[in-house]
Amino acid sequence: MASSSTNSPCAACKFLRRKCQPECVFAPYFPPDQPQKFANVHKVFGASNVTKLLNELHPSQREDAVNSLAYEADMRLRDPVYGCVGVISLLQHQLRQLQIDLSCAKSELSKYQSLGILAATHQSLGINLLAGAADGTATAVRDHYHHHQFFPREQMFGGLDVPAGNNYDGGILAIGQITQFQQPRAAAGDDGRRTVDPS
Amino acid sequence: MSSSGNPSSSSGGGGGPCGACKFLRRKCVAGCIFAPYFDSEQGAAHFAAVHKVFGASNVSKLLHHVPEHKRPDAVVSICFEAQARLRDPIYGCVSHIVSLQQQVVSLQTELSYLQAHLATLELPQPQPPQVPVSSSGSLQALSITDLPTISPSVYDLSSIFEPVMSSTWAMQQQPRPSDHLFGVPSSSNMGGGGELQALAREFIHGGQMPAQPSPGTSGSASSVIKRE
Repeated sequence: MASSSTNSPCAACKFLRRKCQPECVFAPYFPPDQPQKFANVHKVFGASNVTKLLNELHPSQREDAVNSLAYEADMRLRDPVYGCVGVISLLQHQLRQLQIDLSCAKSELSKYQSLGILAATHQSLGINLLAGAADGTATAVRDHYHHHQFFPREQMFGGLDVPAGNNYDGGILAIGQITQFQQPRAAAGDDGRRTVDPS
Repeated sequence: MSSSGNPSSSSGGGGGPCGACKFLRRKCVAGCIFAPYFDSEQGAAHFAAVHKVFGASNVSKLLHHVPEHKRPDAVVSICFEAQARLRDPIYGCVSHIVSLQQQVVSLQTELSYLQAHLATLELPQPQPPQVPVSSSGSLQALSITDLPTISPSVYDLSSIFEPVMSSTWAMQQQPRPSDHLFGVPSSSNMGGGGELQALAREFIHGGQMPAQPSPGTSGSASSVIKRE
């Protein structure tokens, strides 16, 4: 009796020591070079149960079903007590921890948004930072980085002389703070160079 | 007579067979490994799912290799996976794993972004801060191989099974509304799946299932069963 097109049986029929028929339901998903994959599935679920499960599915769904069964079998053999439930529990734990950390970060960020003094000292930079944080978009961050290139370190304080045209609530307070910071640096020679804010 | 006393039965020595033996229509002998976990009331329905997905003999062999004090947890996790497999024959509980994994990656990205901003705002002096632009393209590279392996030290099954224990585990196919694992309605075998199914399909096609050994040992029982 000649076999259809394969020289060797699939991993399932080889494991079960039986002839691999042309209509074998396992052959497309358990190639001969993956004997451990079927051994795991067989040990946890049983060949007859998997056969029944696959026969109830549409052929286009069987590959995903086999791969998920193989994953579950692997997890069950690694941890006979918890299996995949251990993975789910671990992920839920990580998710809860991340939600706590995220809540703390947002709470801390809101403190800085309400501090006018800090915003004043970093007026042209801080406003972009806060706007970027509030919007949560990468565009604001990129704009800030691009904006930063126009102000080398020596000109950082000169930039503060530009009148604030934005609607930032701390504008009045910021102007007052700028006045105080300007006095100690009256002797600086770079004050003469003023560049226009490109944004 | 057929009714034999079972001292280890959890039904208070009622004398009837356990849920498993009732389902299998066999005599429930003393020392039956299923009796403590499948009572004669609700156990038959629970065992029906386990039997269909795993098979009674496979579960019996598995339980014999688990230490006795760990068997209740093993039975609960096996019942959970059996229910998930019957509800979604294609992906089973893997769809829950993939969905949770994607949520974790998404929150990690958002947290890194916020922490980068906080680091710049905490500068003590007015200096030009270096703001790293976090890449959000890493979500596309996530595949089934990124699914985590087991870390035994963080198990907390109460959050998983709290919504399950409050309702019956009967094999009813109606969806169970809940914010937890059973929040997704069941889908038919032939039709397109829901959101969880779409996620699982995408990640399963992304790569082979992970086969690397787990770094942490998962107990003495696994060394008996695990074949390397």
